[in-house]
Amino acid sequence: MAIVKEAYKALEAIVGPDYVSDDPAICEGYRSGPGGYEAGCGYEKVMTKIPGAVILPRTTEDVQKIVKVCNRYKVPYVPYSTGFYGPRSHCHVDNELLVDLKRLNDFEIDEKHFYAVVGSGVIYSPLQEEAMKRGAYVIIGGGGAQASVIANLIGDGWSPLSHRIGLPHRRILGTEIVLPDGELLRLGSLAVGDDPFWGDGIGPDLRGLLRGYTGLRGCLGIVTKMAVKLLPFQPERLVPTGISPNTALALPEKRLKWINYQMPSKEAQIKAMFEIGKAEIAGAVTKVPLFWRAIAKAECKEEFWELWGKENEDTIKNFHIVRVLLIGFTSEEQMQYDENVLNDIMKELGAIARPTKPSDESWIKNADSAGMWLMCGSYMSVDYVIETLSQATVHGESYAELKKKYTPPLMPDYGDPGWFQSFELGHQGYSEFLIYWDQDEDTTGVDHFYVDTAKMNIKNRYYTSLLGPHQPLYLTGPKYGPNYHEWLLKVKEEFDPLWMCHPPVPLAHDVFVEQSDWMKPIKDWKSPKITPKP
Amino acid sequence: MMADDRFDTAKKPVALDVTNLNNFTYDMSRCIKCKGCYWVEHTYMPGIKFSTRCPSNTWNDFDSYGAFGKMRIGTAVAEGKLKWTPKLLEIVYADPLCGACDVGCKRNLDLEIELSLEALRVKAVKDGAGPMPAHKKVDQNIAKTHNQFGSPHENRKKWLTGDIQVAPKADVLYFVGCSASYLNPEIAQATAKILNACGTPFMLMPDEWCCGNTLFSVGMIDEAWALARRNIDAVKATGAKTVITSCAEGYRMWKVDYPKMLNMATQDLGFKVMHLLEFADAMVQKGALKLIKPVKARLTYHDSCSISRLSDPWTPWKGERGWMGTVSPRIKRRRGTEGLYAQPRNILKTIPGVEFVEMPRTRENAFCCGAGRGTKEAFPQLASFSAKHRLEEVREVGAEVLVSACPWCKNNFAQAAKETGKHLKVMDISELILASVRG
Repeated sequence: MAIVKEAYKALEAIVGPDYVSDDPAICEGYRSGPGGYEAGCGYEKVMTKIPGAVILPRTTEDVQKIVKVCNRYKVPYVPYSTGFYGPRSHCHVDNELLVDLKRLNDFEIDEKHFYAVVGSGVIYSPLQEEAMKRGAYVIIGGGGAQASVIANLIGDGWSPLSHRIGLPHRRILGTEIVLPDGELLRLGSLAVGDDPFWGDGIGPDLRGLLRGYTGLRGCLGIVTKMAVKLLPFQPERLVPTGISPNTALALPEKRLKWINYQMPSKEAQIKAMFEIGKAEIAGAVTKVPLFWRAIAKAECKEEFWELWGKENEDTIKNFHIVRVLLIGFTSEEQMQYDENVLNDIMKELGAIARPTKPSDESWIKNADSAGMWLMCGSYMSVDYVIETLSQATVHGESYAELKKKYTPPLMPDYGDPGWFQSFELGHQGYSEFLIYWDQDEDTTGVDHFYVDTAKMNIKNRYYTSLLGPHQPLYLTGPKYGPNYHEWLLKVKEEFDPLWMCHPPVPLAHDVFVEQSDWMKPIKDWKSPKITPKP
Repeated sequence: MMADDRFDTAKKPVALDVTNLNNFTYDMSRCIKCKGCYWVEHTYMPGIKFSTRCPSNTWNDFDSYGAFGKMRIGTAVAEGKLKWTPKLLEIVYADPLCGACDVGCKRNLDLEIELSLEALRVKAVKDGAGPMPAHKKVDQNIAKTHNQFGSPHENRKKWLTGDIQVAPKADVLYFVGCSASYLNPEIAQATAKILNACGTPFMLMPDEWCCGNTLFSVGMIDEAWALARRNIDAVKATGAKTVITSCAEGYRMWKVDYPKMLNMATQDLGFKVMHLLEFADAMVQKGALKLIKPVKARLTYHDSCSISRLSDPWTPWKGERGWMGTVSPRIKRRRGTEGLYAQPRNILKTIPGVEFVEMPRTRENAFCCGAGRGTKEAFPQLASFSAKHRLEEVREVGAEVLVSACPWCKNNFAQAAKETGKHLKVMDISELILASVRG
């Protein structure tokens, strides 16, 4: 597989021969699977292709030129920052160009106004380190410290620190996007000048178009530059300690402290999160799945299963931990005050504080998403919603109930309702449901469960983040909106009439269902005959 | 647990044996592209500068040069879907196999990345595609002169000077290695004099041959196996209880790769393998080695890969893989935790006058010099790039002297420093220790 010679020559003229290749060995390195996020599922097997060529631009101008060449020669292309987001960020059609953005790694920081300007190749942990050197911090999203800042912010962008910092779209400031036809779109203050300090610009706020709720998986252009808001942090250095794999940041205890509380009930757990938010204290408030604790304790996969084998439905049902991060943003006294308030809240609710290490293994600088693959080898999050605190827990429980029918192939987890936490000082609750399996087994059940969750959400009238390109658009579109699929397709047609940019997204899951015989039993919605474009 | 909540997965035999790439198809197929192999471990991430730890993928930006790309390529090779081509050979061999990827991956997962890469090279040789021409020349040199440079065998002990006492028989055997014997006599001399200064009698091998590092590293497993067998037998014949090396690559060969090739545990070798660093640190702690003469310099230390993240002892393993990829019996994974990280720092901090500064990337996160494991021979441009990249870090911390504990590192850094034209002294730690002993 390769792209047409004339197009290849034009691309080579843009970046030079060292930064474009159609060599089979080079292209093989960009295969989506066999491992990784969502890998081993039907979607990955049916929908992903090895690129026809790979190109590494250095500048926004390079990207514009590349996209224009693609439009001229009808070469479909996909933007690719780190490749971590699994099959949905890889090539979907034959003879496609993969635009690897890692060389767009420019970085500037404005210490006075607390924002950083990053290219698509900049990942989170260096940004966080540079921010912390200057008394600031950002959220490293659940995608992990290795995620591209831009890709994460236009798709996800939250973590337990969202309790204090808030939702990701608020941190997107001036942004540059190369539209699917190569035209440059500048958002926020960049629309009227060269200073990206502000997110709002003239005309409608197109950040909504950029990310929607959870992003469009690169089907509406390529974000090449973004200014990201930094937030004030505490001033003391967090010192890295230990040798891998046992590394952590040592916390200055008077300015930063994690405390775990065992709550007497689920109601007390939710109430605690609500009251902590109401008191406007803490930097993070979260409840993680019990099996994450087993991952943290285990030295190997086999030990994980030994530890996990000791749990049962009762221990899961009675696991009501609330993990709180206190941050002395302004002073030691402020943190002491927060801790006193926290103790009062927890005492009233009958919570018991558990011994907690004076260190941070995950969330401040290192978000450990890679550990998700330890126990089974295959993983994805099937939904993540932002709801009220009380509704968010119901969300996870309904997923756990549905999951029983699909276990196996899914990992036995005794009804664990997943990850749950407070956002925006308790104004919102976040729930994420994660599934694990072994890709070497029969994964039909994984594919069915995924689509079945969309049906469950429709039936129960639950909100869900996995709309748009994440689920069959003709399944969810008519039920949410009630015609958001038509609008989404109109937007796509408007900006990318040739469907050059990451086809057939946002119809990719529809195409997958159409092309996979094993999905027939679960397809009970109407859809037109879908012709993958271009 | 309920019995009906899981599949009854058939168990498959598997072994940590690099002579068969199929032993690592599970490991290669579970790479998740988190690029923990590429980035400095995030807890230690020093900032925007010096954020990577993979020399190959820093040298060439295409994903295929990172371990995450190579795992996909290895899978395709194992499945017979990718043919050997010059580009594929470059991807496989333009890599110092420095182990950064292995420890990076194993921070979170139980995947054998280093062994997969070694097995891929063995497969390349078995398929008649590998190694690179420069490696074949090394093989010819070793066959002819028992050293990898093709220098006359009779010159091997030319480094010995009259003031060095070598015992005819001793518990300690100093295995000098090709580099120190022929290219870096100053390292061999310093090591021998340190042993003398400690009052530790040592002997040399009656007829020392190459350790076979390059041959093993490029996948010439049969040739490397023969050298391993020959060298181990030769040491056993001397009755030595401890083999000391001053070369990091040699240390790894004796401690890890000989047992690996011979399907035995490091502890069953019949003698102990030590690097000079371990020996000197222990002697300093005991008071047998006094570092009293001041060495006035601002210096930094480079962790050579083969005495750090690659040096956990070897234990052979074979067993079965079953449900969810679990293995039985359990494997004690080599995660690079047993490297010689503290010893050099202890020593350097003991030397009076030394102003010791750390570089941003240290220990298991160190950026390889790029010379080892067949890279300098076949891809000198990568070795040069890697060393120069590391030297930027040396300059960043304002060090006047760069210290390492391997002749390969020393030579590569010294050449790079010369090429960049910037003043920097590159020393082996043995030279520094000796300077402090003698003044």
